[in-house]
Amino acid sequence: MRVVIAEDLALLRDGLERLLRDNGFEVVASVRDGDSLLREIAAHKPDIAVVDIRLPPDFRDEGLRAALEARKQSPDTAILVVSQYVEQAYARELLADGRGGVGYLLKDRILHVVEFVEAVRRVAGGGTALDPEVVAHLFSSQTAGGPLERLTPREQEVLALMAEGRSNSGIAESLVLTVGAVEKHIASIFSKLDLPHSGVDHRRVLAVLAYLQGQTETG
Amino acid sequence: MEMKSILFSKRAWSEFLFLLSGGPLGVIWFSVLVTAWSLFVGLAITPFIIPIALAMPYLIRGMSSVESTLARELLHVNVYPPRTAIVKQSFWRRMFGWLGDVAMWKAQVYLVYRAVVGFAIAVGLVTLLGLAIGGIAAPFYYWALNGGIDFSFWHVDTLPKALVLVPAGAAGFVITMLLSRLLSNLHRDVAQGLLEHSPDPLEPRPAPNLDERHRMFALRATSFGVAFVVLVIVWAISSTGYFWPVWPLLAFLLLLGIEGTNLFVIEHPEYWKRPGMSQSLAAQIGSSTMVVLFLTGVWAAAGGGTYWPVWPLLGLGIACAARSIALYFSPPGQQELTERIETLTSTRAGAVDQQEAELRRIERDLHDGAQARLVALGMSIGMAEQKLAEDPEGARQLLEEARTGAGQALKELRDLARGIHPPVLADRGLEAAVTALADNSPLRVTVHADITSRPAAPVESAAYFVVAEALANAGKYSQAKRVDIRMTRDGDVLTVEVVDDGVGGANADGGGLSGLRRRIEALDGTLRIASPAGGPTLIRAEMPCGS
Repeated sequence: MRVVIAEDLALLRDGLERLLRDNGFEVVASVRDGDSLLREIAAHKPDIAVVDIRLPPDFRDEGLRAALEARKQSPDTAILVVSQYVEQAYARELLADGRGGVGYLLKDRILHVVEFVEAVRRVAGGGTALDPEVVAHLFSSQTAGGPLERLTPREQEVLALMAEGRSNSGIAESLVLTVGAVEKHIASIFSKLDLPHSGVDHRRVLAVLAYLQGQTETG
Repeated sequence: MEMKSILFSKRAWSEFLFLLSGGPLGVIWFSVLVTAWSLFVGLAITPFIIPIALAMPYLIRGMSSVESTLARELLHVNVYPPRTAIVKQSFWRRMFGWLGDVAMWKAQVYLVYRAVVGFAIAVGLVTLLGLAIGGIAAPFYYWALNGGIDFSFWHVDTLPKALVLVPAGAAGFVITMLLSRLLSNLHRDVAQGLLEHSPDPLEPRPAPNLDERHRMFALRATSFGVAFVVLVIVWAISSTGYFWPVWPLLAFLLLLGIEGTNLFVIEHPEYWKRPGMSQSLAAQIGSSTMVVLFLTGVWAAAGGGTYWPVWPLLGLGIACAARSIALYFSPPGQQELTERIETLTSTRAGAVDQQEAELRRIERDLHDGAQARLVALGMSIGMAEQKLAEDPEGARQLLEEARTGAGQALKELRDLARGIHPPVLADRGLEAAVTALADNSPLRVTVHADITSRPAAPVESAAYFVVAEALANAGKYSQAKRVDIRMTRDGDVLTVEVVDDGVGGANADGGGLSGLRRRIEALDGTLRIASPAGGPTLIRAEMPCGS
């Protein structure tokens, strides 16, 4: 799997490069700013770009802007945005085009190397990875008495992991359930929330996220 | 209905009680003020002046605080004692600064007013009420008195005669209460004119226009006239001895005189638009003249003798002359400049204090949080290194602890950074940052923003923290359910307004809000808070945008 990294701090750039190489990725380019990122993506057509939000010259949200631009220019390259902080608005912007192959994680998640690598692979494969903090916020801003309260606590856990972008087997593993049990929970969630059932993982996630965000805005 | 409200309502009795309190309180205020000023003037050239000068503002503020609390509780008029400076003052300012503080003088005029007029009113009302009750109860006791009830012009010694007194007494009661209502209204007006209208040192006094002032002056003159006539009637009925109504008359004339000269000065700039004069000096000369006339009246009413008002005349004259000379030799605009410099100095001092406290807090957070975690992290990794060879499982556990610690350190640093300057504010500006705040609040928050171009960064940041603090307070203390946030940029002024539907009672001097106030003042802005008990709470910040 071929990766481009955009990170301005040398310490983190080198660490990320080594971490991904050790886990079997091929790092084709490491850049320091948004313009170089767009250039390298166009040149190498990598499977995924791992992008820091804050990049030179202004150290604001250049990374995010470059990532959105890259998704328009090279739709085949997945984008994983990493940051020291998460903002709901940024998550919304990244998910706005309704396509998979996108992720938004706190840099803290890199500390869990196994899970982080799994997330990179998932996003590169067209899935999604949404930081648990974003998901937790989506849950906490639901109106009281809303449809989410019809779910059992276990179903809510499953829904949260699904929103993070985990696969059925990933959810099963982290909740110590069988895949069959997870599938049953998911079917029940979809019918309780009146969501159209869709087999493909990332479509399913986007439906869930669109649902949660819609609830937040009207609430 | 109206009559019942005047005679028996709770309001009627609390107003009556307020007017009665003028009796005992008036005596106390008068003795305290006279003693304090005698000491102040008498000891002016000795070192004893220092403690007296330092104590005077506290004394005046203390007495006016009692008075304004009474007026708020019993008259339901929003008045407060002279406001204290927000910043620490130098020794000299504390010692003599109050002498130049208009609010302090007004408060003293109010206290004197309570002593002279308030005392007379209390005596008058008690007398009237006594007569009324005496009349109503006449049938029950006229026979017990030797020779009946004796008015100089009429003897009440039979039951029919006593019965006639009952309606007269009732009428007297009605008159007493009507008078009480009238005098309370008058008093409310006086209290509002002389005491502060808000405890908030930044709330500017709404300037009444000239027409309004004329109307108030006429109203006050009429009320004083009515009150004086009533007192004369009371004097005539009760004793017709010593003509005591002359005392309240003098006070009425003093108050009307000061207000009249002030109005005159405002309307006739031709008298003071010249070298060595200014509007406030002209007002000072007018008021001083009135005070001397008043004291002369007091001297005459007290039976003449040595003309002692010559001393205050001399003092006030010297003060006016000194100010005039100073004005004559100071370059034009100097006074405004001096005032501006004083404001800047004090707001800058506030901002520096505020910044200092903030830096200390950040240092402490770093020291107790992230730094300590990194030390623990290093220790875990060091121990894992030692154990790696003989106890790989133990080493794995230590490394896991280290990873958890690193995660916590990251989270703490992130929270700290957000508290200093939220990233989304720098990235996307005020509206986006406030919307993010609204998103994160458990309350129902609506955000209206009309900000065409971004204000300077310090202004944006201060505005952001006003909203953050207001939202936090609304969530924590006010039991609010809804919060409306309005942000508008009108020309060079950014206005941020936060209204919640909670129970009110926000403390404007509480840590968070007073810190923000200092921050905003340093940007030449104002922060105002209205939070009556029962709500709603309104917080409004106005700042020049600076870009």
